[in-house]
Amino acid sequence: MFTTPRILVADDDPVTLRFLVALLRREGFEVLDAEDGQRAIELARAHRPDLVVTDLLMPYRDGYEVLRALREDEALRSTPVIVLSMKDREEDIVRGFTEGAVDWVVKPFQPRELLARIRARLERQGAPPCR
Amino acid sequence: MSVILAWAILGLAAVFLALTAAIVVGKTRRESRESHDRARRRLLEPRILAYAQAGEGSIRGALGRELRPRDLRVVEAVLLDHAQRVRGSAFERLARALDELGCVDRYIAALRSARSWRRAWAAEQLGIAGARRAVPDLARALGDAMTDVRMRAAKSLGLLGGAASARALVAALDEPSRFSSIRIADVLAGMGRGVADEVIAVYPSLGPAGRLAALDVVGRLRALDAVPWLVDRLADPAPDARSRAAHALGAIGDPRAVAPLVGALEDAEWPVRAMAAKALGRIGAVEAIPVLCRRMGDQAWWVRSNAAHALGAMGDDGVAALEESLDSSDRYLRAQAVVVLEERGVVDRRVGGLVSPDAETRHAAATFLRRLAAAGGTARLAAIAGGAPDLTLRERLAALLPTPAEGGP
Repeated sequence: MFTTPRILVADDDPVTLRFLVALLRREGFEVLDAEDGQRAIELARAHRPDLVVTDLLMPYRDGYEVLRALREDEALRSTPVIVLSMKDREEDIVRGFTEGAVDWVVKPFQPRELLARIRARLERQGAPPCR
Repeated sequence: MSVILAWAILGLAAVFLALTAAIVVGKTRRESRESHDRARRRLLEPRILAYAQAGEGSIRGALGRELRPRDLRVVEAVLLDHAQRVRGSAFERLARALDELGCVDRYIAALRSARSWRRAWAAEQLGIAGARRAVPDLARALGDAMTDVRMRAAKSLGLLGGAASARALVAALDEPSRFSSIRIADVLAGMGRGVADEVIAVYPSLGPAGRLAALDVVGRLRALDAVPWLVDRLADPAPDARSRAAHALGAIGDPRAVAPLVGALEDAEWPVRAMAAKALGRIGAVEAIPVLCRRMGDQAWWVRSNAAHALGAMGDDGVAALEESLDSSDRYLRAQAVVVLEERGVVDRRVGGLVSPDAETRHAAATFLRRLAAAGGTARLAAIAGGAPDLTLRERLAALLPTPAEGGP
């Protein structure tokens, strides 16, 4: 029996957050949304998403701290995290992957590309990719 | 008298009340409109996003009967908000929606407004809205009397991309304002390597300032295909153009440019020789080491400095050449070698060798430092000797330094 993959999206920009939620819901995913890093960590611990899409620059806890918190949590260590950020400098990307990100998408982003990356990652994790 | 005063007070009170009422009414109307817009946005935004993510259909079809005339500004705001955050097919859908709703026509019309702030606003919106059909209008706006309008039009053309945008921007490099020219060059450099062909095509029609900016852009684009063209520019009659071409070749870093740049080291104008030396350093052209060594004795300080720094950037071979130069009979050449060896930390590393357990390393370090001191490079050695915590190191360094009687520090 298949369950709907659960995706947590974290972004402090409400316009981007609404776009991501609409995009992922339209594709049949169950979506949790957080407007800051602290809330993202709380939601991740409470709901154990199959995948996380996070921005980097967020209030309270930034994206790097979200990555670190997930990696330090036994139950969430294997949850794949895709970073969706305006940052495209080599050192930022290297730091992101070092902290545990599995993929990196630069804003402004192509929604279809992001969906393809999410699906590919979920398939690798063994979760049903929806549509 | 008291009656006049009373009327005056009443009059003032009436004016004050009228102003207060106007402010309250205005604020209420604004809040009411914002509240209405928020409510309509909550309703319409999901439909607009569904439209953006769908493969077909029109925005009017997606919004259906829900779309009221007053909603247009809400829909426009939603479309523009999201258009700034996505790329690819979703962006194309949002751009098409803005055109379908007549926003693009309105922006194009506003480019002809008498108010400069409105023209600037319109120029910016056209870029965000991805209005490719507005490229000719934006190209015309590059000639606007107001800098703000010109710069926003340039930014929008950069966002829209394409050969026509690039051509208009290259032509605008002739801007009389150096600041504006730099901003336009920034926009062009952000448009990708494909722009280089347009720059080269428009180059002959540019004035002297525009040509220099164009050469900078080609260098910043790191356009490998443009290397032969840049090499030809090394023979330009204008020294500034030759100098910028050399700089651009260094930025691209293609080894094909080494021989022409070595030739440019013999240019009659020192700025060209200086830029050629710098470019050879950026390329890492070790075959140019002998000629760079000679240029460390150039009559122009910039050429000497750039040649020495170029050698310093060439790794072990370059550093070895700088060390050889310490024995030169030319005191300018020796001084440049000392400066770069100090800057690149070579002196500090060799000083450490004085207390190495390995006798050969100690001997090599002492030999090098003696040559350095003889070449006049005693300032850094004296500073290290004064601050080193290791007594043995201080003593060995002091033995290498000339005494005050010998003319030392």
